[in-house]
Amino acid sequence: MKTPTWNDEQVFGFGMALGGPAKVLRPTTVEQIADAFAKVKKDGGSVALRGAGCSYGDASTAKGGRVLDLTAMNRIESFDPTTGVAVCQPGVTVRDLWRRAIGYGYWPKVVSGTMAVTMGGAAAMNIHGKNNYALGPFGECVKSFDLLTPSGQQLHVTAESDPDLFHAAISGFGMLGCMTRLEIQTKRVHSGRMRVYGIVAQDLEHNLQILEDMHGEADYLVSWLDLHAKGIALGRGIMHRADQMKPGEDPEGLRYFEPSLQDVPLKMFGAVPKGWLWPGMWCALHFGQVPLVNWLKFQAGSREQKHSPYLQTHGAFHFLLDYVPRWQWMTKPGGLLQFQPFVPKAEGARVLRKLIEMCHDAQHVPYLGVLKKHRPDKFLMTHAVDGYSLAMDIPVPTSQKGRESLWRHCREMAEIVLEAGGRFYYAKDAVLLESSFARVHGEDAVAKFRALKQKWDPERLLQTDLSRRLGV
Amino acid sequence: MSARSGTCIVVGASSGIGLAIARRLAQSGRKVAMLARREAELATQVELINDTLGRKAAFAFVHDAADIDAADGLFARIEQSVGEVDELFFVAGVMPEVGAEEFDLGKDRQQVVVNMLGCIAWGNAAARRFQQRKRGAIVGVSSVAQDRGRVGRPVYNASKAGMDTYLEALRNRLWRHGVRVTTIRPGFVDTPMTAGLKLKGAITADKAAQLVLKARDRQKAIAYVPGKWRPIMFVIRNIPSFVFRKLSI
Repeated sequence: MKTPTWNDEQVFGFGMALGGPAKVLRPTTVEQIADAFAKVKKDGGSVALRGAGCSYGDASTAKGGRVLDLTAMNRIESFDPTTGVAVCQPGVTVRDLWRRAIGYGYWPKVVSGTMAVTMGGAAAMNIHGKNNYALGPFGECVKSFDLLTPSGQQLHVTAESDPDLFHAAISGFGMLGCMTRLEIQTKRVHSGRMRVYGIVAQDLEHNLQILEDMHGEADYLVSWLDLHAKGIALGRGIMHRADQMKPGEDPEGLRYFEPSLQDVPLKMFGAVPKGWLWPGMWCALHFGQVPLVNWLKFQAGSREQKHSPYLQTHGAFHFLLDYVPRWQWMTKPGGLLQFQPFVPKAEGARVLRKLIEMCHDAQHVPYLGVLKKHRPDKFLMTHAVDGYSLAMDIPVPTSQKGRESLWRHCREMAEIVLEAGGRFYYAKDAVLLESSFARVHGEDAVAKFRALKQKWDPERLLQTDLSRRLGV
Repeated sequence: MSARSGTCIVVGASSGIGLAIARRLAQSGRKVAMLARREAELATQVELINDTLGRKAAFAFVHDAADIDAADGLFARIEQSVGEVDELFFVAGVMPEVGAEEFDLGKDRQQVVVNMLGCIAWGNAAARRFQQRKRGAIVGVSSVAQDRGRVGRPVYNASKAGMDTYLEALRNRLWRHGVRVTTIRPGFVDTPMTAGLKLKGAITADKAAQLVLKARDRQKAIAYVPGKWRPIMFVIRNIPSFVFRKLSI
């Protein structure tokens, strides 16, 4: 077998606004990771762990440094059709997992908006899905993982064997070691399809009201927001609710257990490759037509509501970001920044309304807003609160001045969120400073995390642009 | 004309085309006896079908198609426990990796036993009963690989050709008794058996199953799945040997 080598590459975050040149190694075995750790340590440097690079900000980049890209370790070692437990290498993607699981009537418990993310990345960032308020984050479906620490120790960790390490390595953004194998629990589904409702929400309060009314019975809830709307329509959008089928409810859904029928179609009208849609979207964004596009989408919502509920495959419901390949290229050359505050329930309406108004005032209006409901969890560096999150995709200006103005605007928004007891999510964040780190998690949690870092990685071998920014 | 109400047997039903056929049969209201070697996989698939449909449509029978002596007894047991069988789908098949210079009798024997003798064992068990009852249908999944002997997989080609010829003979024997025998020759289909291969333009197992059941409904003698393989294989069959032996297809 060929030994992989360090290559000079450009390594950016998903939003393409952060990152830069780095030396990249793609190991295929655990031994190669250990060798890489040893070599970097000998050179006195540091290394960043990276999966599919789907973190929007700088969680998997190391400008001018070294990056260990784990996507080549992408084998599902086993899948137990009786229990639905998959044993995965860290580079196995959500797509690999559901393609294996759905044929047996299982679906991953927690999936992101794109199926490109890896198991290692999903666990390290402790990602969430549209069911965070019900099933919690990705970490709650990890039964165990093997961790290769910077000192070369190999540990098998479960929530029982070492609760501190388990709950810190998951959510610890790759700071404590490299997960080399993960045991993932999937869930049973009783059809290849779900029942989906589109619901028009007239403003922000209406959106939040629907989340509160429905979260008891709905399996998935997510709302698209038209953040260009002002005044009484501020925060209007379309809520999507999806419910899983019960046994015997959808006999026709039997054939949708075939993986290829779950895949997101890559052609429009069966002919136009969607890979070429982004230039059209680029034009809409750069020629100021986003308000029009959003208005049209919102108007289409009432038609969708009239035809609800309808049946949709799991894949088609979950992986909206994969509908248009390379969609983020529409924000080129500046790239995009996703600002996703998590706000406690009591402050939700006030803070989110204030943030949207601030975006209008600062003229950094997000072209996309996504509202979700969350619940707290046990992970140390968790982003979840008992409340809501609003993900805002904002194009990054190309000029240095514009960029600085956007970062300033986001930090002002972050201040309001932190004052309200809110949190942030490192798969998205690009703006927080060292001074905010303890305010997000509390002094105790940060001290505990730093102590674990000192214990397992005293030489600071594992570093990313994010960890340097936060002063971990 | 075969009645469409009795029990169906699908041999090789835990994955690929066999599984897709079993799902479609169950969904259309039939009782399906699903046979496969891997117990956990089979049990999961049977449970999945019954669970999704909300009724007991699928029945698991662990069976290794290589165990040819067990076929007739198992056939009787299925009729006893599930109901009278009027359709047999033989979809079991193995295709081990064979190196270009490999002549491994172990692998060869396995292919002949499963692909050819397995089909004969189940074909005989069904034919004897269907002939007597003057109704029923037998569908055997052969392969486009049976049309020529090729450098890549000599015994896969030979075992499928043997199966194919057997099915033709069975068809000729049984049609006068009102029993229909359909031979399916699939081209590239995306299944666990072909998972390691890069097959351009492969269809899904569900699509293949749809075409298989359509061929059965139309009482076709031989159906290429999908149909485009008929002209392709016509050309390949007619390449003269002195040319064909120099090709790598």
